[in-house]
Amino acid sequence: MSSVYMRRLGKELMDIQCDGLPEGVRLLSADNMQSWFFTIQVLGQSLYEGEVFALEFRFDNSYPFSAPAVLFVKDRTYAPPIHPHVYSNGHICASILGDDWSPSLSVTAVCITLQSMLASCKEKKLPPGNDTYVRTAPDNPKKTRFVYEDDTCDPLLCVS
Amino acid sequence: MKVTIKQWNAVAQWQWDTGKQDDATDGEEDVCGICRNPFEGCCPTCKVPGDDCPLIWGECTHVFHMHCLLKWISTAASKSQCPMDRRQWVTAERKVAPSGR
Repeated sequence: MSSVYMRRLGKELMDIQCDGLPEGVRLLSADNMQSWFFTIQVLGQSLYEGEVFALEFRFDNSYPFSAPAVLFVKDRTYAPPIHPHVYSNGHICASILGDDWSPSLSVTAVCITLQSMLASCKEKKLPPGNDTYVRTAPDNPKKTRFVYEDDTCDPLLCVS
Repeated sequence: MKVTIKQWNAVAQWQWDTGKQDDATDGEEDVCGICRNPFEGCCPTCKVPGDDCPLIWGECTHVFHMHCLLKWISTAASKSQCPMDRRQWVTAERKVAPSGR
């Protein structure tokens, strides 16, 4: 049964290798079907000009019926963007990674959405309640139930 | 000249009528939006395409492998919406009957 998600991911990887990724997005590694890494940057004028971020996608066998866990990488090389929807631990508050996920979306579609989320940012600031959230956040951002609003994020206490 | 037919073999070909034949130029696009397998193939849980792994049409005109769509609709996260346009999924009855043999 788990091969269902692997086959779908295999196809996505093939598409990425054949058709390429959107401008500004690059594949760092897709060595297995559990986690893939990309770099992402915003092209053109934006608050993030010249900055390169890394994204981690984590998949499990509920994909594509459930969204992948997607977070900005925080390590020695990469730091998450300072953005009102991105917590300093890399967790992202974006409705398509939660309530608005659809199995017709894809890794590429998520990258494009996050790219435009960064591109449209008007002020570099952390989400409200960042420190509290980061202190108690689960490792897997999918365990956080975010409330999606236009300008603010509100992580409810994590469920399950 | 008299020809006597000693033996003959019938060959038939079928394909799902997804209503998209007209733009055959972008033929590559005829895949299920959920599993990304071709409609002419089957969903990832099936082995044989055809009646055992049929397609399903929505009133919104979107098409999927029936098994893929039912699996999605059965999740709470789907809110019973079409994966493509998020409209409430309503199966289009007119297409369920076989057409265009």
